[in-house]
Amino acid sequence: MDDVQEMRSPRTLHGGLEARHSSPSYTLGKRRTDHNLLIPEADLKGLGAELHYTQRGGDITFHGPHQAILYPIISLRSIGIGARNYVETLERSMLEFASVYGVKARAGHKGETGVWVGDRKIGAIGVRISSGITSHGLAFNIDPDLKYFEHIVPCGIADKEVTSLRRETDDMLLPSEEVIHEQLVSCLAKAFSYDDVVWKEDPSFILDNQEEYKD
Amino acid sequence: MALRMWASSTANALKLSSSASKSHLLPAFSISRCFSSGLFYLKSIGWCFGFEVLEGLKYANSHEWVKHEGSVATIGISDHAQDHLGEVVFVELPEEKSSVTKEKNFGAVESVKATSEIISPISGEVIEVNTKLADSPGLINSSPYEDGWMMKVKPSNPAELESLMGPKEYTKFCEEEDAAH
Repeated sequence: MDDVQEMRSPRTLHGGLEARHSSPSYTLGKRRTDHNLLIPEADLKGLGAELHYTQRGGDITFHGPHQAILYPIISLRSIGIGARNYVETLERSMLEFASVYGVKARAGHKGETGVWVGDRKIGAIGVRISSGITSHGLAFNIDPDLKYFEHIVPCGIADKEVTSLRRETDDMLLPSEEVIHEQLVSCLAKAFSYDDVVWKEDPSFILDNQEEYKD
Repeated sequence: MALRMWASSTANALKLSSSASKSHLLPAFSISRCFSSGLFYLKSIGWCFGFEVLEGLKYANSHEWVKHEGSVATIGISDHAQDHLGEVVFVELPEEKSSVTKEKNFGAVESVKATSEIISPISGEVIEVNTKLADSPGLINSSPYEDGWMMKVKPSNPAELESLMGPKEYTKFCEEEDAAH
């Protein structure tokens, strides 16, 4: 089976996980809600951050070091689900992952898609579905610098804080980020009823098929 | 930047579609009983809780509908589609006088933080778009076949309508898509 066929087969789910060590960035979705960036764009450079426009759903968010950003690439029709179910499954993956650390998270209420601990947001979702194939995905806060979120209205929801696994686990000793990433991907695989996970270090295949991720 | 790829495989993709797509209808134990009782039981549940499919319309396998009246074709997305999307918060439509092409995307819909492309079932010139959707995108959920219409097109090739599905065929298509993977 060639790579593209394999990607569209329901029996195998492909995806990428990015552990960002490059510059922090703010990203906007298709609706370009830049009114939710609270500082002038010109000031971003001083923060060491960039602004990117994407075609994903969702509002403004921040991506930076010590966040796990996952982007499953899946043909929704091949697994028989629509956008709503897909997003709910992404939420469930993050809930499951949080519970591994004893963090009691919940899925967002209506209009607040994402994963929350009380009124504090720990995981965000922004997806694009094009020709039935998903791109972009989720971002889970492991231990990012939460100060960056002060410069935006995160996900367009005012008066709600942002949190992280680090913050919610107090003194707990967390394993290495590599272990954390593997756990998160395993939770995702389980939520989609997939059995095992194979890691590949060569990103070229996925990047060829995901050209717009790098918005 | 550290970028790692992963692939996960399943022995049984069926398990996913049954629980994911029907979970809003039935608790898990009833789903497994549906399957053991066979297709008949699923069909009657489909009729009671199923999505509305209107007579007199044609349907694409990407879940758009077309109402052809004279030289105008009105296009929108089906009840099945709006349910699978979730609450629509934003709609992007083409400009009037632009052209659309069969099986190519003509716009997008945002729901639950997901932007989904919408595919034109026919080719032609856009003569009108539903401007109410800018302020009331939820009309697509509450009235997918009437107030939630998206665009009116002058078909450039009316023969394209013949390759679309009729209501019965589309109903069966939806049932198969949701149930059997």
